Amino acid sequence: MYGGDETNGIVLDCGSSTTRAGYAGEDTPEALFPSVTGFSTVGSDQIQRQDSSNKRQKTSSAVEPSRKLKTGSAVLDFRHENFEVEPVFKHGNYTSIEAVEALWEHAWRDRLRVNIEEHPVMMAEPNFHPKVAREQLLEVLFETHKAPAAFMAKNAVLASYAMGRQTSLMVDAGHDGTVVAAVHDGYVLKHSITQSCIGGAALSQCMLKSLEAKGISVKPRFAFRREDSKTSPGQFEVQDIGLKGLTDSFCNFHVEQVAADIKESIGRVSDLAFNASENANIPTVSYELPDGNEIQVGPERFNVPEVLFQPALLQSTFAGVLDSAAANGAPAASILDVIQDSISRSDVDVRRELYNSILLTGGCSLFATLRDRLERELGDVAPQTAKVKVTSPANGTERRFAVWIGGSILASLGSFQQMWMSKKEYEEHGAALMHRKAP
Amino acid sequence: MSWQTYVDDHLMCALPNGGQLAAAAILGHDGGVWAQSDSFPDITGEQVTNLMSAFSPPNYDGTLAQKGLFLGGNKYLVVAGDQGEVIRGKKGSGGATVKKTSSALVIGLYSDAHQAGDANVVVEQLGDYLIGQGM
Repeated sequence: MYGGDETNGIVLDCGSSTTRAGYAGEDTPEALFPSVTGFSTVGSDQIQRQDSSNKRQKTSSAVEPSRKLKTGSAVLDFRHENFEVEPVFKHGNYTSIEAVEALWEHAWRDRLRVNIEEHPVMMAEPNFHPKVAREQLLEVLFETHKAPAAFMAKNAVLASYAMGRQTSLMVDAGHDGTVVAAVHDGYVLKHSITQSCIGGAALSQCMLKSLEAKGISVKPRFAFRREDSKTSPGQFEVQDIGLKGLTDSFCNFHVEQVAADIKESIGRVSDLAFNASENANIPTVSYELPDGNEIQVGPERFNVPEVLFQPALLQSTFAGVLDSAAANGAPAASILDVIQDSISRSDVDVRRELYNSILLTGGCSLFATLRDRLERELGDVAPQTAKVKVTSPANGTERRFAVWIGGSILASLGSFQQMWMSKKEYEEHGAALMHRKAP
Repeated sequence: MSWQTYVDDHLMCALPNGGQLAAAAILGHDGGVWAQSDSFPDITGEQVTNLMSAFSPPNYDGTLAQKGLFLGGNKYLVVAGDQGEVIRGKKGSGGATVKKTSSALVIGLYSDAHQAGDANVVVEQLGDYLIGQGM
């Protein structure tokens, strides 16, 4: 048992687009950086990792020499040649333990600057986290990093606490996809977890595709240079530096950032089902790309977020995006279908309460009109006796960081302090004890 | 060791974080009671059949998650368990943990929300021991 008055836990949430880290008890995470790692394909970074834990080497499937993973916005924004970039979270789960460890180390060594041996760690984990992966993460945390205590809580539960509810249907419209889970009295009803691969990443790719279809090429920020024009003073001239030597994954990562910004600033969810052909003459909005090019965006503004409700668009207008977005795992289901599927898989007695307390969080929930549209459309398809109510935090920061905030709340509760799993318990019972303490 | 001793000393024991299980029992796969504590409710044959099918493919506890876990007259909401090995249920501030061994079902009921983790530990450790003994 680990307890005390001054436990200053560290709350870690490695999400699909960003990783959030900070101290328990605070309002917002202190460290925020992309959940992406990069490594050099040439040069001295290709070192054999001298791992103290040989057990881990065996479980890792890679036969190639271990690469030194780098992470953090400073590293990723710098123009590196021969530098491959990979997301840490893909298709609903973490890609490798080394990648997650790289994120951890960046968080507490470079950003928070804490000695993790002195702080219990509250980890947020995906709702559907396989047992083996949980155990591996715990082993690394206790053996390599020597944390004094740890706890792993499901995303849905933490987000629910952040919104002050113990029972809810948590709809997390995130980057990698949308995950819906029913939470009852602080426990996830495991069978109610449903996923869709349509999330922020897919929408950004859709936006990119519709721009390319119009002949607009989106250049990453490091691909050009703006200099004072010699011919007309006071004006800027754009000079192409080119993408020589840069890997595809690096360029795609940065191009997607620009596309994501376009999607976020001018994307809107239309009030009613949106049909691009009917609304082709909709007034356009202008957006200035990083290289100074001003583009006009019309129906795409509404068509791209519409994919959340009409996944059939992924076959017609945005064909080809799905292959890059999700090759396996979750189907491309509309957000309404995912919600209804989740409720139908839950206990009959809870269903009415779930319809009544649907909570919308996650990056995609920042589309201002998403909540209204969702409530209206769900009200149309839900059973007559159910009253549908969709709530979302008013504050954009709370919507994005609901999971982290919930972790901060939970880790600072007095009644929680007896539930930490201490290093001593890990040594006595092994990592499997976590499945019993935090199912 | 008699089955009653297993229940009295290893299930109804003092929990690591204080307190005690509300009730516990060891049942056979056919529903026959091998031993139980005083306040353990009577389980019907149908409830045991539903429980046993919830440990088996293809559905595992999917159907139980929709209909509810019934033990005696109480209905529990099914929360995360270990497929084919452990089923965990919640009811208000209490809950139940059911661990399946080769020929028995070890069941523990608790009434205080803080005991959930400990109840899991106690029930599953006894279950693992019995599996190791071939029972």
